[in-house]
Amino acid sequence: MAGAKSALVLCMDVGFSMSNSAPGEEPPFELAKKVIQKFVQRQVFAETKDELALVLFGTDSTKNPLDQDGQYQNITIHRHLMMPDFELLEEIQNQIHPESQQADWLDALVVCMDLLQRETKGKKYDRLNIVLLTDLNTGASADHLDVIIENLKKDGITLQFFLPFPVEEDEEGGGDADRRGPSHPGMGKGLSREQKNSMDMMKHIMLSLDEEDGLDQIYTFTNAIEQLCMFKRIERRPMSWPCQLTIGSSLSIRIVGYKAVTEEKLKKLWISVDAQTNKREDLKRETVYCLDDDNETEVQKDDTIQGFRYGSDIVPFSKVDQEQMKYTHDGKCFAVLGFTKQSLVHRHQFIGNQVIKIFAPKDDEWPCRPSSGRWHELKMVAIVRYAYDRRSNPQVGAAFPCIKQDYECLLYVQLPFTEDLRQFTFPSLENNKKFTPSDTQLSAVDSLIDSMMLVEENENGEQVDMFKVHQLPNPAFQRHFQCLHHRAVSPGTPLPPMEPWLKAALERPEVISERCQAPLEEMRKTFPLTEVEKKKKVKTSAQLFGKDSEEPDAKKAKGDEEEEEYNLADIAEGSVTSQLTHRIEQLLSNKNTQYYMKSITCIQAFREQSIEQGNADLYNSYLQSLKRSIPNRGLEVFWDLLVQGTISLFTWDCRISLKSFLP
Amino acid sequence: MAEWNAYYHNEDEEEEQEEGEQSGGDYKVTGRDSLVFLVDASKEMFIKGEDGQPSNFDMTMEVVRSVYTSKIISSHRDLVALVFYGTEQSKNPRNSFKHVYVYHDLDEPGAKRVRDVDGLQGDKGAQLAADTMGSGETSLGDALWCCANLYSDIKLRLSHKRLMIFTCRDDPHGDDSTKDRQARTKASDLKETGVVIDLMHMMKPGGFDVSLFFCDIVSPPEDESELGLQLEPCDKLDDLKKRVRAKEQKKRTMSRLNLCLGKGINVAVGMYATAVMTRKPSAIRLYRETNEPVRSKTRTFHTQTGSLLLPSEIKKAQVYGKKQIVMERDEVDTIKRFDDPGLLLMGFKPMEKLKLHHHIRPAVFLYPEEDEVKGSTCLFSALLMKCREKNVFALCRCISRRNYPPRFVALVPQKEEVDHGKVQITPPGFNAIFLPYADDIRTVDAPQCPVASQMQVNKMKEIVSKLRFKYRSDAFENPVVQQHYRNLEALALDMMAPEDTEDLIMPKVEQIDQRLGPLVQEFKDLVYPNGYNPESKPAAKRKTADTGGGAEKKPKMEVSEDELKAHMQNGTLGKLTVPILKEACKQFGIRTTGTKKQELLDALTARLEITDNLDHT
Repeated sequence: MAGAKSALVLCMDVGFSMSNSAPGEEPPFELAKKVIQKFVQRQVFAETKDELALVLFGTDSTKNPLDQDGQYQNITIHRHLMMPDFELLEEIQNQIHPESQQADWLDALVVCMDLLQRETKGKKYDRLNIVLLTDLNTGASADHLDVIIENLKKDGITLQFFLPFPVEEDEEGGGDADRRGPSHPGMGKGLSREQKNSMDMMKHIMLSLDEEDGLDQIYTFTNAIEQLCMFKRIERRPMSWPCQLTIGSSLSIRIVGYKAVTEEKLKKLWISVDAQTNKREDLKRETVYCLDDDNETEVQKDDTIQGFRYGSDIVPFSKVDQEQMKYTHDGKCFAVLGFTKQSLVHRHQFIGNQVIKIFAPKDDEWPCRPSSGRWHELKMVAIVRYAYDRRSNPQVGAAFPCIKQDYECLLYVQLPFTEDLRQFTFPSLENNKKFTPSDTQLSAVDSLIDSMMLVEENENGEQVDMFKVHQLPNPAFQRHFQCLHHRAVSPGTPLPPMEPWLKAALERPEVISERCQAPLEEMRKTFPLTEVEKKKKVKTSAQLFGKDSEEPDAKKAKGDEEEEEYNLADIAEGSVTSQLTHRIEQLLSNKNTQYYMKSITCIQAFREQSIEQGNADLYNSYLQSLKRSIPNRGLEVFWDLLVQGTISLFTWDCRISLKSFLP
Repeated sequence: MAEWNAYYHNEDEEEEQEEGEQSGGDYKVTGRDSLVFLVDASKEMFIKGEDGQPSNFDMTMEVVRSVYTSKIISSHRDLVALVFYGTEQSKNPRNSFKHVYVYHDLDEPGAKRVRDVDGLQGDKGAQLAADTMGSGETSLGDALWCCANLYSDIKLRLSHKRLMIFTCRDDPHGDDSTKDRQARTKASDLKETGVVIDLMHMMKPGGFDVSLFFCDIVSPPEDESELGLQLEPCDKLDDLKKRVRAKEQKKRTMSRLNLCLGKGINVAVGMYATAVMTRKPSAIRLYRETNEPVRSKTRTFHTQTGSLLLPSEIKKAQVYGKKQIVMERDEVDTIKRFDDPGLLLMGFKPMEKLKLHHHIRPAVFLYPEEDEVKGSTCLFSALLMKCREKNVFALCRCISRRNYPPRFVALVPQKEEVDHGKVQITPPGFNAIFLPYADDIRTVDAPQCPVASQMQVNKMKEIVSKLRFKYRSDAFENPVVQQHYRNLEALALDMMAPEDTEDLIMPKVEQIDQRLGPLVQEFKDLVYPNGYNPESKPAAKRKTADTGGGAEKKPKMEVSEDELKAHMQNGTLGKLTVPILKEACKQFGIRTTGTKKQELLDALTARLEITDNLDHT
């Protein structure tokens, strides 16, 4: 629902006790500040509509509406309820310091409640929450505890506590602090009397709000920081798609679909700005149309019409005509074409980029459960026609019955059309003696697989999967936000290295890499692998032509993997021709017509030489590579000269084997 | 609802972003693919099969046509030629070869060519062929030479050259050994220039003996096995189509990567896209006056100075929390960079750990590249065998291109399968299934429903088994794309109206009803209480929930047949509202294309009159 947002008050203790810490430990103040920073960062980048306020207590000054008659002193509302932004982050960074007063944390809580009440009035929020970060080291008066709890309940406000130390659920009388071990920071000398007192009150409040899980909402600073280092995963509320599953003309079953799995993209795209002013308005992009003639004559957009290619024909086809003649259908649809064996629908032929879960609708009075499967026992799937709505293209897809413990549904996945399939054939692997692995080789692979199993049984006989991809946040998003955040708070510095936890998450689990050492060594011995020399030669030609063709590039994304790589090294083996090509390359490095003419003479000589030797390959392949390198080297002028009749006796088609016109 | 719509509307934009990754058909950079159909036009080719089976020539033309149209749709830049040999008449560029008839020169196929081939089909086609070309002497050598010239006359760069010979004669030259020799020489010349020659041999009485002559003509199969020549001759159109299609598409790698098992153990693999969504092509702009295509140029300039800006004068920015965060263009790229391209083996998991619903994009196919790293095929093959044997998949981290962020893939082993004619239908290799991250999985609250009774389940099972069919992935054509091309074809050829396309993904309602018979009612009686109509909206429950504005209000609109008839007789049918009329149409199973009131009225009246008449007879 569009308007759903929550309101949250961060209430942080900045009083003097927060700066106390055992030697070598970070003071609670710093930890609490980090928690707040990380939290606000996440909020900023997640771009939720949630609003946030910041209240400080223990401040030297007092600034809050309840400040009267010496009550509610040393409590400051730093920021009222609004959406978090970088300004807030900067303020947290620069303006929040440890101060020297102490204030009653219950008073602070009351200020927060008051703030929520005032500032949410008349607006709709689906959640009100107060987060208290404190060491509980102030004497709080328990006078109005019940009234406070009553009000929290009445307004539906939830509470969370962040403390420097953990809370034991069933504390056995008397603060036996040592039992928890001194290892936890902040626990230094055990708890003071005030802290124990406050702790009891806090527990009382939390348990009155939620008897069962109240104490789960109490966290330690260090745990919180760990959990907050990950940026929020992208969450989208699934939208329902009500429709009817039809079988034939008379059987229809009400269903509702939700997009359950889809490749999520970042919500924002990069915008271009002027490098000097960083302003978007200073840039303008313009698209012009021009004829494909020598002058590139520009034509107005209004003077262009729409057309399509039909093979070699270009067919003018106006938008209006297209709209009228295009395929139309009846709209929203989930119609069964028939049922087929699940084994005939291949997993690798799934197409599209989403999975839709289909349920019987919640509010259906007579839910039709068999719709959602139960025929799974037959190992059958439904092949269906699916159309999202009138405007979208219909698809063919499969609906798999999916029976889970607490729900049943159909999983819909799109399947390919005839046009989408590319039926490539590949040489057989098994029938080829040259590549058949030996028994030793097979057993090496066998033990490698055994050593690298990511799913194992633990002592209880349960299967444990140590690498669940679907629980990993998309590393691209994490890195993206990390860099954006860095640039925002420390502009002018280079981008930071990747977070260590992220790096580690993308590597083999340590257990596995240790276990597979020996089998890998065995593999190395039994399978000789030699990189084919080609790579190196490519490099030399790349250097020569100054183009980097080593790896496929994401930006260029060219698919010309199949292209034969031409190696200058191949032809430059001794002989006159190598000298000639060398000279040509030399001449061409000077971009000047005079030198161009000289290189043309050389090329001519090269050609004659080839004819003499009766070997056209060198000449052909050289010219071919030269032609290819023209755009990269900016030699268009030269090529034009070459082609434009300067030497007309040439047949400029490099593909023709010279054989055909050699004597 | 907004989000769903947004998704569908942005489809094009999203596609653009992804194109780099998914493009399987766009290889402008490399040059064109070319294919020559060299078809035997001897009398033997025109002999009709038993029981009115089409002649070999007919089958060949059918295949040529289907290749033409599929090229137009999926790779219109490929060049195709159609050449006949063994003809009486001759027609070739320099008219230097006798008995060779170049019907279509090497060029992009267009609407006219498709029509031409249509003209050569059937009895009329045979007559036309006899009239224009006739059947005469055969010299395959000359035919091959002529084809060689076709290739060399092309002024474009060709990346892949293929020639397919369609014939049913295994010994075309009889005892003329000179001609045999000449053909062999020309064939080897062609092969030397990179042309791959395939034989599409067809049935003739007495069988087709490849070893007599053609074994010396065709190119050896890729894997150096003898599989290629053991193929049986084709006698069915489908087989021939399949065989041609398998050869006709050139395999292209999306990228070549190293599959790294551990330090220093790198297996070279090629990535192939085997299923790529074909969409309606994007429009091109034409100049109104001449209908010639125009080029578009996009440039960026400074608003104040008006000067063109170089890429270095542009930075990239995003706004978060009211703050504009600026980065250099290359920084934007480096953010996406995690590691060099490649596949890194993380470990193995049992097959059942691969979840059906973990699907985010089409899978890609992996096959070893022996040319890059020697020994790859052997290791790959061993890995494939063992994974299948142990029923596990390999989990890999995949960076498919430079500056692409990592994705995880499940490498699922796939066994080679061949059909009865020994044509490969499934190649051996790994399918790489892309796995979703936590961000890609949405939390869907499953509605709670009561469990169905065993009776209901059994009834459903009956329905399911009544509607069984054998799914084939290539059985459904995309009606949207097909319609678009039919329209273009009609316009290109000045036809009155486009040819009808059959919408293959429309449920065959009548057949289904017939097959199910009384089952539907029995099922309904079991599941739905009396009178429940699942097609009506639940009563007024969504008023508060449905803020999307899409909520249609549906009044009660059950009108009985008798009421309708009464209305019709009284001429008051028009008083009913459109929704009621629509609902009535639905009730009668009338498919209405229009939504205008008059259209609905007409449809209903027509239908009611028919039932009326039936009642009276």
